[in-house]
Amino acid sequence: MTSYLIKRLLAMIPTLLGITLITFFIIKLAPGDPISLKVQAMQGLKAEAMSAQVAEEMLKLYGLKVELPPKYEAFIHNFTTRIHGSDPQDKPFFIRKALTWLGQNAIQYTTWIKKLVKLDFGRSFKDHRPVLDKIKEALPITLTLNILEIIIVYFISIPLGVYSALHRETFLDSTIMLFLFILYSLPSFWVATILLMYLASGDHLNWFPMLGIISDGADQLSFFEKIGNVAWHLVLPVTAMVYGGFAFLTRFSRSTMLEVVKQDFVRTAAAKGLPRRKVIWKHAFRNQLIPLITLMGTLLPALLGGSVIIEQIFSIPGMGKLAFESVLARDYPTIMAIAAISAFLTLISLLLSDLAYVWVDPRITFEGRGKK
Amino acid sequence: MNIEHRKNMKKRISILKFLLLVVVLTTGCNIQVPKDPYTLVYHLGSEPDTLNRLTATDAYEGRINGFIFDGLIERDNATLEFKPKLAENWEISDDKLTFTFHLRQGIKWHDGAPFTADDVLYTYKQIMNEKVDAPHLRVYYKDIKEVEKLDDYTVRFTYSIPYFKALEFVGGISVIPKHLFDDGQDFNSHPVNRAPIGTGPYKFKEWQTGKRIVLERNEAYWDQTKFPDIKKILFKIIPDDTVALQVLKKGDLDIASLRPIQWVRQTGSPQFNEQFMKLQYYTPGYRYVGWNLRRPFFQDKKVRRALAQLINREAIVDKLEYGLGKLVTGPFWIFGYEYNQELPNITFNPEAAKKLLDESGWIDRDGDGIREKDGVKFSFTFLIPAGAAFYTRLATIMKSDFEKAGVEINIQTMEWAAFVNRLNSRDFDAVSLAWAFGFDEDPYQVWHSTQVEKGSNFVGFNNGEADRLLEEARTVFDKEKRAKLYHRLHEIIYEEQPYAFLYTGPALVARQRRFSNVNVYPAGIDILEWKVDKGP
Repeated sequence: MTSYLIKRLLAMIPTLLGITLITFFIIKLAPGDPISLKVQAMQGLKAEAMSAQVAEEMLKLYGLKVELPPKYEAFIHNFTTRIHGSDPQDKPFFIRKALTWLGQNAIQYTTWIKKLVKLDFGRSFKDHRPVLDKIKEALPITLTLNILEIIIVYFISIPLGVYSALHRETFLDSTIMLFLFILYSLPSFWVATILLMYLASGDHLNWFPMLGIISDGADQLSFFEKIGNVAWHLVLPVTAMVYGGFAFLTRFSRSTMLEVVKQDFVRTAAAKGLPRRKVIWKHAFRNQLIPLITLMGTLLPALLGGSVIIEQIFSIPGMGKLAFESVLARDYPTIMAIAAISAFLTLISLLLSDLAYVWVDPRITFEGRGKK
Repeated sequence: MNIEHRKNMKKRISILKFLLLVVVLTTGCNIQVPKDPYTLVYHLGSEPDTLNRLTATDAYEGRINGFIFDGLIERDNATLEFKPKLAENWEISDDKLTFTFHLRQGIKWHDGAPFTADDVLYTYKQIMNEKVDAPHLRVYYKDIKEVEKLDDYTVRFTYSIPYFKALEFVGGISVIPKHLFDDGQDFNSHPVNRAPIGTGPYKFKEWQTGKRIVLERNEAYWDQTKFPDIKKILFKIIPDDTVALQVLKKGDLDIASLRPIQWVRQTGSPQFNEQFMKLQYYTPGYRYVGWNLRRPFFQDKKVRRALAQLINREAIVDKLEYGLGKLVTGPFWIFGYEYNQELPNITFNPEAAKKLLDESGWIDRDGDGIREKDGVKFSFTFLIPAGAAFYTRLATIMKSDFEKAGVEINIQTMEWAAFVNRLNSRDFDAVSLAWAFGFDEDPYQVWHSTQVEKGSNFVGFNNGEADRLLEEARTVFDKEKRAKLYHRLHEIIYEEQPYAFLYTGPALVARQRRFSNVNVYPAGIDILEWKVDKGP
């Protein structure tokens, strides 16, 4: 088991490197850069020619323009000369540009990796705060929302799926499914707005707050009152997040249950004369849970990711907004940090779900998995 | 078994208890913190990146820091002329190159340290410091030759060239406290950036990221003539403006900006008007469609005039802005002295436009419905920024009108960063955007031919007389003389039509009625003078 674990953990390193490398080059290839955005933003695009030079200085300050090693410069020169016959430095040859770009970004990426090893994600280009601080602020909010969402979705969907499977092809089964699919197809920005307008705006009902996750001045409340206050704020956003999630999981749990119910051991258990409840919940249901483990692989990263739409409408400063705004502002350090953390969590949860398989299903062994 | 059962029972009961607790708490949670009439709750659509006056690049920072900091001089709300603030008075040399400011004595920063000439000097030094993330500001101060401290309360700025905006730049310098920043820590990420200390009428109190920023009245404010009545300003961050309006209606906001549709359609009920008052005022700025003059289609000014006649601007203001907007003919603030009021609006006139296009040689020869000239089809790409419904709708209206006249438009929508990239590399045919600017605007960056390559003259406008006017105006300190030059410039640009000028839209604001002494000035509204009616 230990050797298997070590093997798996070691295998994660190249995967992680690959993911971050691709992310890095994708965001670098996207048009636009943080400096010209900044220079332009201030004057609403009103920049004097001079600001182009100033922007150049800033690129250096942000580490977006680095010195290429002389050897590499010489290589670019030779290569360009060989292809074009000559290398007039001032002409923007495509190959020259491409090679310089590649060199620049290779150096920047290695710098980023070197820092990452020390768990230093750098500082945000937007406000110069450490990226980790920004994530630490947004993460608890998103975690709370997502944990609640996952709990609610699982606790409703799985029993509902089992129920549907046991009453398959009845009127109830189809009604449940139809209803869930209708929910699934409602766009969340619409539902969220409707919820706000009807239940919170005061135009119709005034049951819930319009925004945020805690009232202003909630510091005066006692601990339990505070929890109540947060819960009161969370009702609408969680509702808007949850309703679309039922369909998939219910469907999944229904189909796995249907498969399990057909198995011989279930028939044997029923034939033994066990009560129906015991057959279903002890024999069938437990086995039905095994395929659900596959879904665990998506759980951890799903905890981290926030919904931009929900956060925007309910004015919640969570991870979705942070990631979205970072992309818009080309805030490379923040984008990279979020990408690296999600990639890492995805890999970890894949590993965990593999371990869980062995734990619940004695037929699967580490040796067998390791050999593959 | 029995024990097990009892345990289960216990568990169940405790779960029940917990649920009950949650229900009780959630229903009992309407313990709303009582509202203080002396607190003004202000809507912000997004939060500033930083509250450092020098490194901030967003509009939100100014809205907040405007309450925390004072300038050396400030504009009068009504006349827009400069008057003393931190500087008691100032002298300008006859050659208009040196500006000497005499600072008021006895002014203290919010932490009690005295405000002196050293702070001004330090601020200038930091703006010019390459390590400081303030490239946008550095451009403004590049023509300053020297800054000297004559004594603790006198500073002198010396320019290398005369420039009519020099007083505004040096007088408007955002002085930051030297004693806090100059401690060896990195300037760009200094902790004070998130807890600013100023000399102004309000002190910073707290900033909860993504939620709110709170300011408290500075009880020791030096300027008794401007001592505010409002004790606390709470900036609430609400990204969605539909939600913001509802929050306002619910009474949890005191002041919020409105969109035209909200102004016209959603804020008319008697209930609303009982609680709120709506204000509108025009700040300098305008929307336009810019033609890339390097492209074959847009090189002839006759063609550009024809295109301007194909844009139904009345309908655009009516339909897209619910009539809230004024048509403009040129690049100045419509209420400013620079604006040439004599030029008539170009009206929507497809027939005249078609004639002009015919005359300039753009004729549909092959009968495919699209004009061509010298083998080039009149079919261009119209670049607009994504995310703003206005531009998409504008482009759609233009497309249908242009096509009727034999001009094809391909609409291309781009995300902002990519859009800026295309503008900077001059890689577009036509583009729609808006300029927002200040009072006493210098349009040099947008229209001078030196700015064609790297500056903001991305349409590539190049006109000898315009260049001369722009250069001359920079050195003219007399408003009326400058106005004459700008009127002529306005005329040239109107003739040339490098942009199709659309309109200027007003700032729309709704505010709570419990405040009195609310005036709308040319400069906008001034919360500092508002008084609070305690009400019943």
